[in-house]
Amino acid sequence: MTTDDAILRFDGACKRYDGEWAVRPLTLKVSRGEFLGLLGRNGSGKSTSLGMASTLIPPGGGRVLVGGHDVISNPVRVRRLVGMVFQESALDRTLSIEENLRFAGALYGLSRSETDQRVGRLLELFDLTEAKGRRVAALSGGMRRAVDIIRGVLHRPALLLLDEPTTGLDPINRRAVWSYLARLRKEETMAMVLTTHYLEEAEGCDRVVFLRNGEIVGQGTPARLLELLGRHLLEIELDEERERELLERKLDLEEPLVDGDRLLYRLPDETPLEPLRSLLELHVRSWRIRRPDLNDVYLWLNREDLQRAGGGG
Amino acid sequence: MWYAFVAIIRRELLRMLRQRGRLVSALVRPLIWLLIIGTGFEALLSDYGAGDYRRYLVPGLLGMVLLFGSMLASLSLVYDKEAGVMRMLIMAPWPHSLIIVARTVSATVVGVIQALMLLLVLIPMGLVQWPASVPLFLAGLILGGLVCAAMGMLIAVFSRTLDNFAVVMNFVIFPVFFLSGALYPLQDLDSAVRFAALLNPFSYAVDLLKHAMFATAPPLGGADFGVRLDLAVTTGFSILALLVACIRFSSATLRERTARLLGRRT
Repeated sequence: MTTDDAILRFDGACKRYDGEWAVRPLTLKVSRGEFLGLLGRNGSGKSTSLGMASTLIPPGGGRVLVGGHDVISNPVRVRRLVGMVFQESALDRTLSIEENLRFAGALYGLSRSETDQRVGRLLELFDLTEAKGRRVAALSGGMRRAVDIIRGVLHRPALLLLDEPTTGLDPINRRAVWSYLARLRKEETMAMVLTTHYLEEAEGCDRVVFLRNGEIVGQGTPARLLELLGRHLLEIELDEERERELLERKLDLEEPLVDGDRLLYRLPDETPLEPLRSLLELHVRSWRIRRPDLNDVYLWLNREDLQRAGGGG
Repeated sequence: MWYAFVAIIRRELLRMLRQRGRLVSALVRPLIWLLIIGTGFEALLSDYGAGDYRRYLVPGLLGMVLLFGSMLASLSLVYDKEAGVMRMLIMAPWPHSLIIVARTVSATVVGVIQALMLLLVLIPMGLVQWPASVPLFLAGLILGGLVCAAMGMLIAVFSRTLDNFAVVMNFVIFPVFFLSGALYPLQDLDSAVRFAALLNPFSYAVDLLKHAMFATAPPLGGADFGVRLDLAVTTGFSILALLVACIRFSSATLRERTARLLGRRT
């Protein structure tokens, strides 16, 4: 047992599948009550990292500690501390919301009255009280995910792991899931670790960690990471390379980030925007000046890979 | 842990009650055997002075209900893996063997309930004698259900999908049923077939029911083995199968833990 404030600690934890690294030796700490976003593209090692923290995927090396307990030597204690919301629903579709949650409560050793009290409170928080008798098979994707989240926090875990909770949902349901998580954060004091490849969604996290090919390529608070790109980004599409050279010379711009047909330029904060707009109107077919998001940060952190992949024009 | 154990059993019973088709077919299947095969063979055997075949069939048909009911309930563990419900179960803060034991018990309970329902249908038909021994009859039902549930669990822990369900039906359930003495006495069978029947733990469960149900004048010679052997084989097989299923279900973790103890990286 350790006595620090970390609820989750990866100490050089790693995992290989068929000789390929899924997660390279990873060192990371999540504090109690912290909301951490684990971000990256598909195959970056997010879900494997979460799987190791949940005891479902044994680390191939290093250690993973939850509340000071090793996931290998003490998985039962770890599972008591952890709530997990999976990418795909873990609910029994043949049972109703209430039956599923009662079943989940009993699995965590809660008595019927404790479960009913807790379920009632959480259904109210998520505006699902009216729907409690409905079969899970008849629920929308967003509602099902909400019930999955309630299932994950029924036993008041110290750490909630959310593996891509918004994947497969339409934008309205995705927003609903984020609203559920925000309400939950106001009510409960658990730490949350969330993975997503919708990077722009993670701006509500306390801290985000970017993973690529199983290793950390950047981390910090969303605000701090966004500062890397300044207040504004210029996104343009050009018809000819000649136009790009002309523009870069006139505006004194640094090397852009090339993402497909788009060029992304960081604009120094002191750049006067009105004259720039006039100039762009004259020379560029399609452009916009916008605030950067975490997607841009991810692209920026991976710009060398992007250039190598052939985007670098 | 008790709450979790009971919840797993309760869920299986809820699912059984919701799946009306499954319940109805559990009763209809043995009744078809009784009315078609039973009536046909009774007519045939009465020509040789050995009638009462339908009464002889009753323990075997109760065994059939246990076989289908308990084994299929155990096999629904594979459905849980496919549907994702298994994630909820394996994240619960208990040793994973609890899932296997609780699922086996719940599958046994499902089979026993279905067998008792069949019994209620058979009594008005005049085919059931008051059991020679009620405790033995209950032991027969419970151990029979347990043997079938344990066999199903053994298959379920080694299966990833339900794609091979037809294979299980054709290569496990039917051979186990036909080689059990449920339809005919085992004493006079060809030695190879008899040997196969002796290796079949379900034979001993059916035999236990025969001991319990044929108080007087057992039709077609009655039971094949002794009660003690029946009790020993059914109990022994169930414990062994459950042990293997528990080890298999937790084997990934065990492998990783062993590797850690040896200081190896896996």
